[in-house]
Amino acid sequence: MGLLSPQDEATLKNHLSVITLPVQLVLFTQAFGGSESGDVAKQILNEIASLNDKITVVEKSFVLDTEDKAKYKVDKAPAIVILSDGIDTRMRMYGAPTGYEFVGLVEAIIVAGTGKIELDPETMKWIQAVDKPTHIQVFSTPT
Amino acid sequence: MAAANEMITADAIEATEFMDLSRKYRVTGVPKTIVNETIEIMGGLPEKTFVRAVLDLPEDVTEDVTGSGTLT
Repeated sequence: MGLLSPQDEATLKNHLSVITLPVQLVLFTQAFGGSESGDVAKQILNEIASLNDKITVVEKSFVLDTEDKAKYKVDKAPAIVILSDGIDTRMRMYGAPTGYEFVGLVEAIIVAGTGKIELDPETMKWIQAVDKPTHIQVFSTPT
Repeated sequence: MAAANEMITADAIEATEFMDLSRKYRVTGVPKTIVNETIEIMGGLPEKTFVRAVLDLPEDVTEDVTGSGTLT
């Protein structure tokens, strides 16, 4: 049984219809010693990908795929790396994307799939002026 | 923000799944944002206020009533 209801799927499919670029969701999970949330994350991503053929899920092992782990600088699992047409968007999600994180994931997919960032032009100017490495970590909970 | 500038990386972290990290950054409420290990932002903020806090922009960044701002 799916995590999304038929009604949720229909709404989400409509939201995702704006996507024009291929989006790859690279999921790192840990088969042994990992949490169950890796399985939940996998199911959620597969359900999202089933709603739009431009979205694909690429599974990686947090333990074995060390090269990819290093490439995307993933240091914990489960982790979701969001690529826009193969290019790293530098947006990561750690943990199962349920609750508020699900909304954030969908928004990130839409940014990656449209190439459009819905921010105030002045705010964008501030962001584009950043010239030193800036690492933002946002902690949230599902509810 | 990360998608807009290659100098920026953004991690959304489920706090209850990564308790060690939550303890490290003293996450007692959510959302809590940590920038470069030095800036802590509690709660959800309006777009401009949040971005200004993340980028540690000076107070003399002005905004007009329509929400468009200028760096001064």
